[in-house]
Amino acid sequence: MGILGLLLAGSGQVLAGKTIVNGIDANFPPFAFIDKTGTPSGFDVEAMNWIAKEMGYEVTHKAFDWDGIVTSLLTKKIDMVASGMSITPDRLEKVAFTNPYWKIEQVMVVKKGSGLTLDDLLKGKKLVGVQQGTSEAKWLKEEAKKNGWNLELRYYNSSPLAVEDILNGRISAAAMDDAPAKDAAGKKDVEIIGTFGMDSEDFGYAIRKEDTALMADMNEGLKRLMASPYWKELIKKYDIK
Amino acid sequence: MIESLTAIKESLPYLLQGGGITLVIVTGAMAIGLILGLCMAVMQVYGHPMVKRVIGVYIWFFQGVPILVLLFLFYFGLFHYLGVNLSAVAAVMVVLGMTTAAYQANIFKGAILLLPQGQFKAASALGMRDLTAIKSIILPQVLRLSIPAWSNEFSIVLKDSALAFVLGAPEIMARAKFIASRTYQHLPLYIMAGLIYFVLTWAGVMALSKLEKTVRIPGYSNKGI
Repeated sequence: MGILGLLLAGSGQVLAGKTIVNGIDANFPPFAFIDKTGTPSGFDVEAMNWIAKEMGYEVTHKAFDWDGIVTSLLTKKIDMVASGMSITPDRLEKVAFTNPYWKIEQVMVVKKGSGLTLDDLLKGKKLVGVQQGTSEAKWLKEEAKKNGWNLELRYYNSSPLAVEDILNGRISAAAMDDAPAKDAAGKKDVEIIGTFGMDSEDFGYAIRKEDTALMADMNEGLKRLMASPYWKELIKKYDIK
Repeated sequence: MIESLTAIKESLPYLLQGGGITLVIVTGAMAIGLILGLCMAVMQVYGHPMVKRVIGVYIWFFQGVPILVLLFLFYFGLFHYLGVNLSAVAAVMVVLGMTTAAYQANIFKGAILLLPQGQFKAASALGMRDLTAIKSIILPQVLRLSIPAWSNEFSIVLKDSALAFVLGAPEIMARAKFIASRTYQHLPLYIMAGLIYFVLTWAGVMALSKLEKTVRIPGYSNKGI
């Protein structure tokens, strides 16, 4: 019986009634990850749970490879992406975003005590790791060409893997959002050396352009969440300031 | 060191549940492969030339394209285009099943071709219909002869099931990665994942080996030294 349930899970109409599937990158602490008990958790996951309850939806979270997440949304495998997703012009061409709910900076992470500076990284022919499909990966690639920086990019499936490789000595630094960088610095021997010139970005929830009703509900839900004390609680709990 | 051990201890139940999903995928895929592969093998040996050609193209396609490519092709492409909505687990099962069917068809075909032609002719002479002859005489022997090669295919499919990770199916590899991302204990977790795959493969292969010894005909099959 359980096997049948597994096979049917995810098939059938999503968005039938008021159940929605949230696609997450489960390797993105503190915004989305899998906790000790095996349940999805994180800032965005808990925020979504609150909003879903408030607006009368049932939400389940499903993990996907980040660089296929927009395709998953467009092919209706999921109904939205609430997982630390930056609003970028590229993505706006394909999907719609809710109002921004968080601002992040992109930072460089290096091994603790390595003494590397930003200049070293950009002009010293170093290897820099990034997660595939992220806005910082795209930005660094374009800017390096424009400004003649001679850094070489290495692509990883997730930022924690890039951090591991810094410790392995395969790359000198990794570029990522400030909150996961802080998370990594707290758990491993790496430090943040600062931003690298990329504009700060806003996070929003991604929804298919034609789902206007869902978009309206999500925006309303976000508005209510951000006005409630739970918002501050979440920020404190996941230490993303 | 302590961190590694705690990470392993805490994650073990979660990883083992992933093992359950892996087993579901592998059982489904091998079952699809067995039924489809057996039919294709029989038709390739006894069927109409046109049918043989069609099956040949199927085998050629599924042997030629990497499973990873097929997974993306089917899950994000074909299924969506056809409006078929399968879960990740079901999609992996179907794709793996169709791929292993291509390889299993060759395994069974090899076994069928091993049997002396005289058997089939004798069956016809006795008035047996072709289908009955195939079902009652050829196939039992084919299945018995194919067990070792099939056990190979089983261990390959079990390891290929790790690719389900890219479609988001929560099997062993996906789960190991999730925990590693949270705890940064990559090495111990991937070792655990490898161990679980190893145990599953070994158990399956041992079971099939036992089956093969059980159905061996004393005095007829080679027994070895």
